[in-house]
Amino acid sequence: MSRKTERLVNLTIALLATKRYLTKSEIFRTVAGYEGTPESKERMFERDKDDLRNLGIVIEVGTFDPLFEDESGYRIKPENYQFQLGGLDSKDISLLSLAAEAWRGAALDSSALSALVKLHAIGIETDSEALPDLAPAIISKDANLALAISAITSRTVISFTYLSEALAEESRVLEPYAVASRYGHWYLFGMDLDRKNLRSFRLDRILGTLSTKGRAGNYEIPQSFSVESHLLETRSQQMAELYLRSGRALALRNRSNEILDEKAPLGWERVSLEYRDEERIAEEILWYGEDAVVLKPESLRDSVIESLQAGLIRYG
Amino acid sequence: MAEKQSTPLEKAARLLDLVPYISTHQGVALSELAAEFSVSESELLSDLNTLWMCGLPGYTPLELIDLEFESGFVSIRNAEILQKVRLLTKDELVILLVGLDLLIKAIDPKRADLLHSISQLQVKIEAIIGDIATIAPIVNSSYRAIILNAIASRKNLQISYHSLIRDQLTEREITPIELLVDHSYEVLQAYCHHVGAFRTFRLDSIADISISGYQQPLTVKPKQDEAFQMEIKISKRIRSTLERFRIPVRSDASDGSRIFIADSFSQDWLIRSAMSTLATTEVLAPAHSRVDLARKCRRALDLYESALFANIS
Repeated sequence: MSRKTERLVNLTIALLATKRYLTKSEIFRTVAGYEGTPESKERMFERDKDDLRNLGIVIEVGTFDPLFEDESGYRIKPENYQFQLGGLDSKDISLLSLAAEAWRGAALDSSALSALVKLHAIGIETDSEALPDLAPAIISKDANLALAISAITSRTVISFTYLSEALAEESRVLEPYAVASRYGHWYLFGMDLDRKNLRSFRLDRILGTLSTKGRAGNYEIPQSFSVESHLLETRSQQMAELYLRSGRALALRNRSNEILDEKAPLGWERVSLEYRDEERIAEEILWYGEDAVVLKPESLRDSVIESLQAGLIRYG
Repeated sequence: MAEKQSTPLEKAARLLDLVPYISTHQGVALSELAAEFSVSESELLSDLNTLWMCGLPGYTPLELIDLEFESGFVSIRNAEILQKVRLLTKDELVILLVGLDLLIKAIDPKRADLLHSISQLQVKIEAIIGDIATIAPIVNSSYRAIILNAIASRKNLQISYHSLIRDQLTEREITPIELLVDHSYEVLQAYCHHVGAFRTFRLDSIADISISGYQQPLTVKPKQDEAFQMEIKISKRIRSTLERFRIPVRSDASDGSRIFIADSFSQDWLIRSAMSTLATTEVLAPAHSRVDLARKCRRALDLYESALFANIS
């Protein structure tokens, strides 16, 4: 077991210490742990390179003399190996440590731990006194979140089964671009390769585990893509006006503006409210039953009345 | 600490991280080092023994890493090559970026210094991995800290709570018991002195919170809340409607009959959810809920039919 560990560490040290590219034969001759037939050494080395790459260690391939088709060699450039966030002060380290702590026990627990170890290894004492008392936490334990993030950072195509509104199972193939959490749910964004369009998916609607397809680095995320801008609703904003019973329908009231209306019935206030999805706002208004009455637009008022009439017929 | 066997790769990663850590913490106690790396002391000793065999090609004492740990305290020499802290992997950068999002949204706007540091860090990280992850938290991280403090120090809390079910904002004194996750929402289980019973509070519905200084000893034990059920038949928008009723969404659910059972400790919540989904859902049972819904529809329709609420611009 530990032979392999030892060999990986020795290979890293050798490639990091060298000022020039080391050829494969030099590596096999000098780095401890490469044993057996030439073929098995070769296989070992290929696996080791993949393993180090999975640890985020970039091995550079080059030749000694660019003028000749020489045997290629390998090295790790120190600037590609070491901590890359530049100079940090103790406040930065405290903030980053707290940010990593948010993932303890959640979907990316192991990445959180390794990030913390690296931050602490810098050797700057954290100054938690300087920070307000905060306990950030991410509660998602969805294994697909970790898989999606790895697929995005390694640019690997994924496929999964998604549950449609009618509960049909749909197969999706996606170049994943980003993840975002909104309203307590995680969403995955990417290029749907069958539908040839940008799509978003709620992670908890994915059935089972998502799987990767093909090699890493198979696509690029377009420069123009940004999660923040993709999260902005493309549906146009509409304005509704409602009467709300005084002191009721608090959630609607909190996001609305009061309108002066002298004809408002006693004990009611007139408000205006922005919305984008008519079905959703109708459901929210109906939640408050006789404490919220839509005045306009006509279509929203009609759909609420229609639902109430259907309910009366069904239950009356 | 779980005594889980690491893979050779995990072990290699840990060795590469141990070197810079020990270099900046010369003389660190074995126990402290094991805790920092979340491994048992025996696994750590095995790590150190392996590391001791590593070094530059040649592998003479001049080239090998020199470790001292027999005393129970660890120091390291001759490890210059690995002394630099390793770079953060892209997955680690993603979790930091998202974690910083949680912080920036919980910090008092008056702490401009911290907000500035956070956005600088986010800019640095985004320059490396791009704008690929973000979170808009629904729970304020400082509220969570106050709750955890109160539980640890056995203090009561004063909360201002917005109940969606009752459509009320109330001030309550509560004795916090524990933080739980319910249907992917964070909730606080607590004894509520306002109603004299145990209650579950959604953290994202807490409008304000403070420690109230003293704790009255509890003489009662939490009892299982009465559970209510409702049988429903969904005709369209099935997935969204199931999510609203918090019924686990599966493709084989209900074998095509589209009849489901919704559970809740609150009858009000079930009724309001059924009102919300009048357009997609029929309540089949219990019968008294149907009577209730009919009455609610009638009352709301009365308003729409009244001249006072006519659609006048």
